[in-house]
Amino acid sequence: MPSTQTPPLTGTAIDPTALRPPIDDAAIERIEPANIHARLAELKRDGFTMLLDLGAVDYPQRKPRFDVVYHLLNLRETKRVRLLCGVPDGDPKLPTATDLWKSADWAEREIFDLFGIRFDGHPDLRRIQMPNDWEGYPLRKDYPLRGPARERSPRPAFALKSNVQAGTPPSGRTLEALQQQIAKIRGEDGSK
Amino acid sequence: MSMTTSPLTPEIVSQDGNAMVLSMGPQHPSTHGVLQIMLEISGENIVKAEPEIGYLHTGIEKTAENLFWSQAQTVIERMDYLAPSSNAYCYCLAVEQLLGITDRIPERARQIRVLQAELTRVASHCVWLGTHGIDLGALSAFFYCFDMREKILDLQEAAGGARMHPNYLRVGGVQADLPSGFMEQLDALIEMFPGRMRDLRKLLQANPILQDRLIDVGIMSQEEAQEWSITGPSLRATGISYDVRRAFPYGGYEAYDFDVITRTEGDSYARFLVRLDEMEQSMRIVRQVRDALKPGPIAIDDTKVMPPPKETIALSMEALIHHFKIMTEGFRVPPGDVYQAVEGPRGELGYYVVSDGGNRPYRVRTRPPSLYNLQALKGLAPGNLIADLVVIIGSLDPVFGEVDR
Repeated sequence: MPSTQTPPLTGTAIDPTALRPPIDDAAIERIEPANIHARLAELKRDGFTMLLDLGAVDYPQRKPRFDVVYHLLNLRETKRVRLLCGVPDGDPKLPTATDLWKSADWAEREIFDLFGIRFDGHPDLRRIQMPNDWEGYPLRKDYPLRGPARERSPRPAFALKSNVQAGTPPSGRTLEALQQQIAKIRGEDGSK
Repeated sequence: MSMTTSPLTPEIVSQDGNAMVLSMGPQHPSTHGVLQIMLEISGENIVKAEPEIGYLHTGIEKTAENLFWSQAQTVIERMDYLAPSSNAYCYCLAVEQLLGITDRIPERARQIRVLQAELTRVASHCVWLGTHGIDLGALSAFFYCFDMREKILDLQEAAGGARMHPNYLRVGGVQADLPSGFMEQLDALIEMFPGRMRDLRKLLQANPILQDRLIDVGIMSQEEAQEWSITGPSLRATGISYDVRRAFPYGGYEAYDFDVITRTEGDSYARFLVRLDEMEQSMRIVRQVRDALKPGPIAIDDTKVMPPPKETIALSMEALIHHFKIMTEGFRVPPGDVYQAVEGPRGELGYYVVSDGGNRPYRVRTRPPSLYNLQALKGLAPGNLIADLVVIIGSLDPVFGEVDR
């Protein structure tokens, strides 16, 4: 049965990170997946001792499809740096950062859980927010908002004839009375 | 739906009775919500602790992507449900950066936001202090804490219309001016606060039983704190003086005098004292805002972002059109990405917001301080008694709306 819901978001045709207005929130670097681990290790040696956060963004219409975003903090000089790492679709994967920072553990599990990006070398890569047997990656843009199961069975439209005939209406009125009322609302009883 | 399966499953591992795996939670009263911890124990001693989260996952980040920029704020406030205004504050600041209107927010709006952010911090710490006391068997303090919190919720209700999720802060300012009578209520709170803090300190801080339970339990070194990305009071209890309000000032915090409280011990008692002192510093900021408040506009004068006042739409065609446009299709935000952080009650609360130029956020990634603070349990719990685990969870102050989102 074709879905009557709004079609899933297909993602933006532009790359917002390339069009950002001049905002002074952090130094930004774009790193290739092959170099990300070396760059993180280097920054950690240079005083960026905290991996504040690591998240992902899905750009289905862009190549590479995913961005994994690392937010690093230098406590001594109070400086922030943001590393954006493009990960291509297909078999998305990155090297883990858990050997550099223990805090990367849950963040990487969450990205795996919600985006399906694997982290090579992660000690315990399994779903964290969703149940273990969940199918699909909910934060991807092509994942339906209400979930795949509910997407397949759209909400029934209210007060259709087929709907009314299905059983006694909750109001307790007789079926005929209700059908007449619906017909009257629709102008089918010849009154118009 | 199956439960998340941990590598540790509840069973007796060895037959000699020395090591077994115990599941604590997700309904355990001292886990402050729906936290499950798989504990590998030897007698009463914890060998390994593996927290299992996700029981409160509601997909807020996904939901936010499908709402208008202003509607998304309502679900975002529900992440950290003890400090809704902190979440809203951070999100608004991030969106304002993308819109490029940060410098155009009127002074009064900035002051009211700081006021709300600090009040919500005191309210959140009240809940922490009361529940932390209950974990340790000190029941009386709970009532004093919740009484004070209720006064703050009354203020939030007066300003925003709701106790828990006022949705009062808006992109571009605040939703309405402070109502009449608000200042008197605030003064009553300011007057009541020092005495109430004295009572609480007398009841808890100097209590030898409480000290026995907290001192030297769950010690965290500075290196460990950085390794686990700990922020907020827990980080400052190790001696690192990092406060987002001081390090990366936002929203006019430069104008207010306050001390960044630090301790060097790094144990649960240090975290306890840092939070108590922070409540007083927050009220210090509240008093300064109260004295600095001057009448003036409470939102940006830009009808492309902020709907015009309701009174004007009956008089002006243009106001009506702008009102209609914002209510039916929201406002558009120029493309770009931004990371904005504020000092929430639990630590650095960050939002990485991406816009593709549309009227809905393309991606709202939260940096939840509770998630990272709670994760450190894996490092802090081993070597402690099970009873001390309760203390450590309480001293990290996790909120599960934020951990699971």
